[in-house]
Amino acid sequence: MASKPKIKELLDESACEHNKKKKVACNAPTPGATTGGCAFEGAQISLFPYADAAHLVHGPMTCLGTSWETRATSTSWPGRDLTQMGFTTDVSLNDVVFSGEEKLVKAIDYIMEHYAPEAVFVYATCVTALIGDDIDLICKQAAEKFDIPIIPVHAAGFVGSKNLGSRLGGEAALTHLVGTKEPDQSTPFDINLIGEYNVTGDMWQYTPLLDELGIRVLSTLSGDGRISDIRTAHRAKLNVIVCAKSLVSLTRKMEERYGIPSISLSFYGKRDTSKGLLAIAEGLGDDDLIKRTQALVAREESRLEEKLAPYKTFFNGKKAVLNTGGNKTWSIAAALQDLGFEVVATAVKKATEDDRGKARQTLGEKGVLMMNPGVEQAKLIDETGADLLLAGGRSLYTAIKKGIAFADVNQEKKKSYGGYGGLLNLAEDLKNALQNPVFKNVARRAPWEK
Amino acid sequence: MGEVNHKKEKPLQVNPFKLSQPMGATLAFLGVDKCMPLMHGGQGCTSFTKVFFTRHFCEPIAIQTSAVTDAIAVLDGGDYSIVESVKNITKKVTPSLIGLHTTGLPETKGDDVRGVARQIEFPMVTVNTPDYEGGFESGWARTCKALIEQLVETSEVVDDNTLVLLPHVSLQPIEVEKIKDFIEGFGFNVLAVPDLSSSLDGHLGEKQAALSSGGISVDEIRSLGEAGLVISVGDSMQGCAAALQNKGLEMRNYHFAHLNGLVATDRLVEVLLEETGFTRPPISVARWRQRLQDAMLDSHFSLGQNRFLVAAEPDHLAAICQSLHEAGGRVAIAISTVDSPQLEKIEADKVIVGDLEDAELAAAEYDVIVGNFHCESLAHRLHKKLVLRGFPNWEQVGNALKNDVLYEGGCYLLFEAANTASSRNEVKHA
Repeated sequence: MASKPKIKELLDESACEHNKKKKVACNAPTPGATTGGCAFEGAQISLFPYADAAHLVHGPMTCLGTSWETRATSTSWPGRDLTQMGFTTDVSLNDVVFSGEEKLVKAIDYIMEHYAPEAVFVYATCVTALIGDDIDLICKQAAEKFDIPIIPVHAAGFVGSKNLGSRLGGEAALTHLVGTKEPDQSTPFDINLIGEYNVTGDMWQYTPLLDELGIRVLSTLSGDGRISDIRTAHRAKLNVIVCAKSLVSLTRKMEERYGIPSISLSFYGKRDTSKGLLAIAEGLGDDDLIKRTQALVAREESRLEEKLAPYKTFFNGKKAVLNTGGNKTWSIAAALQDLGFEVVATAVKKATEDDRGKARQTLGEKGVLMMNPGVEQAKLIDETGADLLLAGGRSLYTAIKKGIAFADVNQEKKKSYGGYGGLLNLAEDLKNALQNPVFKNVARRAPWEK
Repeated sequence: MGEVNHKKEKPLQVNPFKLSQPMGATLAFLGVDKCMPLMHGGQGCTSFTKVFFTRHFCEPIAIQTSAVTDAIAVLDGGDYSIVESVKNITKKVTPSLIGLHTTGLPETKGDDVRGVARQIEFPMVTVNTPDYEGGFESGWARTCKALIEQLVETSEVVDDNTLVLLPHVSLQPIEVEKIKDFIEGFGFNVLAVPDLSSSLDGHLGEKQAALSSGGISVDEIRSLGEAGLVISVGDSMQGCAAALQNKGLEMRNYHFAHLNGLVATDRLVEVLLEETGFTRPPISVARWRQRLQDAMLDSHFSLGQNRFLVAAEPDHLAAICQSLHEAGGRVAIAISTVDSPQLEKIEADKVIVGDLEDAELAAAEYDVIVGNFHCESLAHRLHKKLVLRGFPNWEQVGNALKNDVLYEGGCYLLFEAANTASSRNEVKHA
């Protein structure tokens, strides 16, 4: 089982920011008090966007039945978009008793015969990991038979969280794909985009700008990705991690093995997008490129400002309360400020120490960092006279009770809020929310209630 | 009736619309008031299921997980994870019931969940629902049976005025309510188990509830043994009816394969007239029957010119095919998620157990698809028209209020199918 990644190592990842203070692995869910997805989901998130590969889930029906066609990860792959297809062995009691290996072999054969993908990812799940199906051997034999990469992904749900699963997905790509092929040509400005999944086409908000600068996206893990590209990823000059702490171990290993440095950034909001583009140019270390990037950023910002002007007039003086988690606690706050909002509070309950620091920096001294947003947000809306609550669906009730506008922070899963262009989408959605009378109308008392 | 193929030929599912047993179990527990469904397995099963139903109903979904990890899986027979789960759940909320249901992981290890639950001093119902067996429908039915077997008290009295309704899993909340109202119109006191009509019907409550907010109460379930009548809807629910009859004194069961279309509704009315001794139904029932007759005639022209592919859970499949068939809609292929005795009765040229790849390969044989959200991209790719039905429907809002049952719902289904079939536009790109 040489290809099985060492989970303990991944959990103790030195590049993992929060690990400096917290030695205990982030991997002990509490029975009866746990939310969030499993490792399989994480692996699926990090690898499914390869639309030219088939993704075969070796497990019972829950794993894939609930999860296929759930993420709007766009692709420009001209062939059949295999990301939006579901393949599963749907193991039965018979397979559990007598092994599911034969079924898996036949399933791979079936996929090869009918869909001829560029690669097949085979995902172990709790049940098939427990019954001990040897997916490593089956994948190896199938890869020899069909002469394409057939990749075992050892991220059964019970090994840990979604975040760990994303690392394991990255690990599978590193072990079986990266460095297995040479690119047709190299440029001094070749980069890999790591952890960018192109959800709702986010990545296409900024890749045309990279193109214009002559920066080539050699490969991605895995938004709008191609198997043949990720195989050449070892020749990139820079790894760019987009909003994904889960893949730092992958980029650290690529640095050790191939000497590729990495930077971590986000393309959320105007300031972050500009900073991100400049960081890439600086990372590639070419003075001319840096100058050209500065010019491009200035041009894009002024174009954006022009388009944002009417929105900013509208948002001027409006106060927003933000209730989300992770890096969104500050990145969305910054985007709201870019739009002219005053962000009076942001929730930091589900944020790392580092994120809390950035949230404080973004909001300034006056801003409130909510440790218990469920209780605090209603009070803060009263105290500050906030106009907008930007939060998950659960908080809708608070907004209605307070009679203020509500915007679902998860709306970004349907519509891109990334890059410069995404900020316009966000502005439009927030304007619509503020102008929508629905929140006040719904809050009307029933005629029979005094 | 046409050719029926009960067995799946392929070694895999390609574009499946089959759903798992534990998901059916979760949904059934959500039809019990102030219940906390507890799924025993890895955290992902629960997380996926929660998101799945949240998106379908646009409502928060109460559910917790025993969060079994690989280390725990080896060492623990469920004792630790289940006991801890109950402890942690009851620290924060006070459910009327914890609905413990299993997944493939603990079933593969052979956890004795019933034994563990017995040692816990909290109202619990346990059900074994490995996801490598059965499907959505059987998960729901097994759970309903477990609720009956483990909660209903054996009764020595009979209340002929009380009627228990056992709805199959694919009935949306409003459909359960409409059936209850319909029967209540004949003077019965109706209790549905499970009852989604007041929990997941999409109502704005006072605040975000941490438990299921509506459904049949645990006390009501306990007293179901007194009912004089039980009406089971869907062949998957027959076992539940039998279990309930064991708890009562001469409880009579009327079984319906479904309650869609004119013929099935007529039979329900016949039963209710006979039981009550009435000679006529309520005025509105008669009126809706006339409207359905008219709807059948109004829609028959469009329906008769089109060939349908219907993809659904067995009980739902039988229901939709019957409705379409009665007004001349020709079902060329009916695809079921799993095998069922229903398949033999379905009004279709061809009935198979399969997936949406099978639907894709048969593209030349039909014009209109009736099926779940995953049929959207299929319809788009094949330039077919689409009527969205079944779980999940992440494409549209208002799923809880879609009504296809009885005379009234029959009208809506036929109109929608006929209008979709005769519309000039194919499915637009999402």
